Amino acid sequence: MTRPTLSAAALGSALAAALSAAALPALADTSDKRIALSNNYAGNSWRQAMLTSWETVTKPAVEAGIVAAADAFTTGENSATEQAAQIQNLILEGYDAIVLNAASPTAINGAVKEACDAGIIVVSFDGIVTEPCAWRIAVDFREMGRVQVEYLAGRLPEGGNLLEIRGLAGVFVDDEISAGIHAGVEQFPQFKIVGSVHGDWAQDVAQRAVAGILPSLPEIAGVVTQGGDGYGAAQAFAAAGRPMPIIVMGNRQDELQWWKEQKDANGYETMSVSIAPGVSTLAFWVAQQILDGREVPKDLVVPFLTITQDTLEANLETTPVGGVANVEYTLEDAVAVIEGAN
Amino acid sequence: MTLLRKPWAWAWIAAVAVYAVTIAATAGASAAGLAQAAFTFAAFSVIVGLGQMFVITLGPGNVDLSIPATMTLAGTVALKFMDGADDRAVAGLAVALGIGAGVGLLNYALIKALRIPPIIATLALSFIVQSTAIWTNRGIRIKPPESLAAFSTGNLWGIPNLAIVAGLLTLAAWVLLERSAWGRRVTAIGQSPAAARRAGIAVDGVRLSTYVLCATLAGLCGFLLSCFSGGAALNMGAEYLLISIAVVVIGGSSVAGGNSNVPGIWGAALFLFLVVSMLNTYGFGAGPRMILTGIIIIAVILAASLRGRGAEGG
Repeated sequence: MTRPTLSAAALGSALAAALSAAALPALADTSDKRIALSNNYAGNSWRQAMLTSWETVTKPAVEAGIVAAADAFTTGENSATEQAAQIQNLILEGYDAIVLNAASPTAINGAVKEACDAGIIVVSFDGIVTEPCAWRIAVDFREMGRVQVEYLAGRLPEGGNLLEIRGLAGVFVDDEISAGIHAGVEQFPQFKIVGSVHGDWAQDVAQRAVAGILPSLPEIAGVVTQGGDGYGAAQAFAAAGRPMPIIVMGNRQDELQWWKEQKDANGYETMSVSIAPGVSTLAFWVAQQILDGREVPKDLVVPFLTITQDTLEANLETTPVGGVANVEYTLEDAVAVIEGAN
Repeated sequence: MTLLRKPWAWAWIAAVAVYAVTIAATAGASAAGLAQAAFTFAAFSVIVGLGQMFVITLGPGNVDLSIPATMTLAGTVALKFMDGADDRAVAGLAVALGIGAGVGLLNYALIKALRIPPIIATLALSFIVQSTAIWTNRGIRIKPPESLAAFSTGNLWGIPNLAIVAGLLTLAAWVLLERSAWGRRVTAIGQSPAAARRAGIAVDGVRLSTYVLCATLAGLCGFLLSCFSGGAALNMGAEYLLISIAVVVIGGSSVAGGNSNVPGIWGAALFLFLVVSMLNTYGFGAGPRMILTGIIIIAVILAASLRGRGAEGG
């Protein structure tokens, strides 16, 4: 067993962290607790940023002795069976909490239940699990779709034609965001969705799909998206020589960069909304709080990261080239989210 | 009609039919725009399809599953190397082609030295290549040099530059396959490796060069695609695995090897792009769209193979 010896300095900083968090009731000490991150996929920029944020936030936390370990594990392929096996390994290795971005909402419930039965705290985020013993930090994807149409209604009171770029067909997230967009169109009936393509959340796929449907579409006033597809859509519009509609962006650096260039060149105005990959750090603090003995409701909601015309430059500056606009959450943020749900 | 007896005719007929139906939705207003888009995107499918065609021609079990990973690695490393500098464009292209050739060599090394079947060998290597791509750039999207971006999105007298590049490669591939000794050898190996060996063909040398050619074309495609779409992404090759095989088969080449044709690849690549555009234009949802795509592809292959059999009988 590797049990870290508690130095006075570590204790002090742990205490300071606890105190700074608005005098939390520190019922139990988490300095000997070990937290694992189980991640099902690392093959895109969002996930890469998620893992980097995890490291950025947990490393100082471990050094300060708030927790004993916060190790990240990623399965090679996006496969539920592989992740279930990984969780079983984490149970055997004796982690106290598992923070989980799940390959499937249901397929790894068995492994999650095993972990709970072994007394392990399981906190799922982004890709959540339905197993009732786990905590869920979920994204309100419907609202993410709806706010886009609401924003467009503010910009274009007259309404107009919309092109919808969807994500990966058959994935829960795609259905949810799209349902939100359609709910938004019902709420603001001056808009009409005249075309819908699947962009698989990838700029090149979106570009290909939009280029294919664009020649047969009437004038487009706005493009509603799911993130990771706005830049591809913009390129398709530019290549076809069509007037540039208001394309709602999804916080990717290439999207923000393009938006900035257009803003400087011709005053182009839009908005951008997505979930910060740093949500992994929110899940980390929530797990730490549960281990600390705090009452935490089983269902929490992730705050959106919205970028507006005014906050564009600031966000672009802090977003790494090729990355996603990000915020890393602090213990205080986690407490605020927990209290917001109570 | 001798033209109809050609195995590649049906892919072209299907492409033209789907094109006509799609522009009918706007009473022809979208004709030029759609044709331009189709030729641009078909170019990528054609480039990887040509490489895959040579590999498939080698006979049963020969297929290169490492194409998407090779595209991703070549695109990411080349763009990182150029770092947006115009004067490194040629060197960047060389880097992409070199990575492709390297992957091809490794592919055949696994197949030959370790006696692993090509499907497993190329799949296994693709995991390593993809992981290398993730490791080298961590999802960073670096812009291509201005000159390359302008070239890959530009056109000459209305014909997309990429379609011209793919067209020249197609011509070269046709000469290689139909008119060169090397192409005859590839076909001979596909028909019977044992007979080819007895006839004195250096089977290993030909197979090695085929895998290297295929991976090099994948590297080129990754390079062009990342210049075209404003940067390389880690998942950018994903679509092209299925496409590379589909364009070969729909184009009328024999999936069992030994009998391939080049023109069909263009027909199939245009068809695959246009069929998605058509179903999107008519507003089909994702479910029906995929089912219809499947049915249409089966119908085209069936028509081609029935017609081919009839021709042999007659």
